[in-house]
Amino acid sequence: MACALLSWHYTRHKPLPNKVKILNVTINQSTNLKDELRILLIDDNKQRAESLTIALDNSRYKVSHLASPSSGLLKQVEIIQPDIIVIDIESPSRDILESLNTISQYNPKPVVMFAEEQDTQAINMSIESGVSAYVVGDIQTERVKPILDAAVARFKEFQKLKNELTETKHELASRNLVDQAKRLLMSKKNLTEDQAYKAMRKTAMDTGQKLEDVARTLMSLLNTL
Amino acid sequence: MITPEQKNLKLGFIPLTDSAPLVAAQEMGFFNQWGLNVELQKQNSWATLRDKLHVGLLDAAQMLAPMPLASSLGIGCAKTHIITPLVLSLNGNAITISQQLHVEILNENSLSHVTLPLAGYLLRNVIQTRKQQGRPKIKFATVFPYSCHYYQLKDWLAASDIKDDDVDIGVVPPVNMVAMLESGEIDGYCVGGPWNAQAVRAGLGLTALTSFDVWQDSPEKVLGLRSDWQKQCPNTVLALTAALKQACIWLESTPNRFEIACIMSSKKYLNAPVDVIAPSLIGSCLTELSAPPREIPSYNQFYKSQPGSINIPEHIRGEWLLSKMQSAGQLDNVNVPDDIVKQVFRPDIYQEMHEKSSIQS
Repeated sequence: MACALLSWHYTRHKPLPNKVKILNVTINQSTNLKDELRILLIDDNKQRAESLTIALDNSRYKVSHLASPSSGLLKQVEIIQPDIIVIDIESPSRDILESLNTISQYNPKPVVMFAEEQDTQAINMSIESGVSAYVVGDIQTERVKPILDAAVARFKEFQKLKNELTETKHELASRNLVDQAKRLLMSKKNLTEDQAYKAMRKTAMDTGQKLEDVARTLMSLLNTL
Repeated sequence: MITPEQKNLKLGFIPLTDSAPLVAAQEMGFFNQWGLNVELQKQNSWATLRDKLHVGLLDAAQMLAPMPLASSLGIGCAKTHIITPLVLSLNGNAITISQQLHVEILNENSLSHVTLPLAGYLLRNVIQTRKQQGRPKIKFATVFPYSCHYYQLKDWLAASDIKDDDVDIGVVPPVNMVAMLESGEIDGYCVGGPWNAQAVRAGLGLTALTSFDVWQDSPEKVLGLRSDWQKQCPNTVLALTAALKQACIWLESTPNRFEIACIMSSKKYLNAPVDVIAPSLIGSCLTELSAPPREIPSYNQFYKSQPGSINIPEHIRGEWLLSKMQSAGQLDNVNVPDDIVKQVFRPDIYQEMHEKSSIQS
């Protein structure tokens, strides 16, 4: 489970009340920029929920609003299958979403926070540490759409990087395994490097397995014999 | 003498019985004594408490013991180096099951009553029958993915060979636990006080066992703060640690525990009746409406252990928590530095506080 990297900084000119109101946005990985995106909005503040919904009218974002979410939230998530979840960060239900990765097939991740506090240091720190986007100020309706657009785009970018990293790691581990099996085969069966590799490759092709799986079986066999 | 660089602090806490050290330090004036002016900020969720700490909206916070490790490893959040110079409490959680699951356990095992702490294997027949009848699995809830509650629940089930797949485990905020038990959305939960006693007093559940019956003396809540903040104002951290340590010592006497239970029952803190907060604080585990409580002397432990102190963030405690995260599969594909526990658990800061403050250890 990892967090999306995303940074976004919107500074407001007039001073703000020293009151924190943060919204946390969660995005499903499999979103496509052109498709219609389903947003599950969880907010007890009806007025705020309404203005957000109106702001997204006639856009590709489709809002489903859920006012008191404490019970049945996960069921709602399963039914609606939202691409993005926007939740008031002060809602106790936030922790329920925290577990989505472990208990659901569905894999949304936190990306954006809207905050009503102008604390530049805190914002910079959050961006440096790659927390999430920080948007200072009221959620002005005209800002909502571009914020979500950026969130989706950045999230996809991050996800791509993360997948590449996982793939690279896996590839390295697999290469390592094949190498070990090859050396074991050379010493136990007295083969040259080339012979050992070809023997493994042939087994893989004959049995329709990956080279890596053959290496794993071979290692456990040769080590127990 | 310690002179704090930063005097005004924002400290986050979740309304739970074991937030007692933070409340005591505030109400008994220990923070002031150490030159600090602390604003205690009640938080509604662990995730939000963590995020606010990460970005500096909170200077320090009461955290679930595995959380500083999760933050520093960047699991479930952006990587932020969080340290702990002080363990605030041991134990304090319990597993409560609904009356309906209680009845199912009796029926499926042909028992007239269960003995406590409840043996996990008594669930096996219930699991089997529900499966045969095509009914939903037993659904348990805990409070956070990186919590002792989650690992304790898993360990209790695993000790009776109940596999992860045999039950459902989800996350529910503590404040919603009792309501969801009543509505039947969950069959049981592992949570801290006062939410176990609350279900018992309401006649909704049976507290089957405490976390002390599963794990003995493991850190439950710790003081968490950002490593870079500690570097910026090391003396503030020493003063904060000293004040909280003093609160833990103060909480050792039974009359003081009654006093803190009364204070915590107010709206500002737990907003719950004293008769659900006080029991665990005085070592009593309410079990069922009609049954006598169990005596669990170290149900909520804040200070004493002979010899030495429970408050030192010893590395071995961190290693234990890390091993639990590992076996829960939470460290798969995570780059874990060899010295991660040493980076996070900081007995050196505790020692320095001890030397400079001359507070008993």
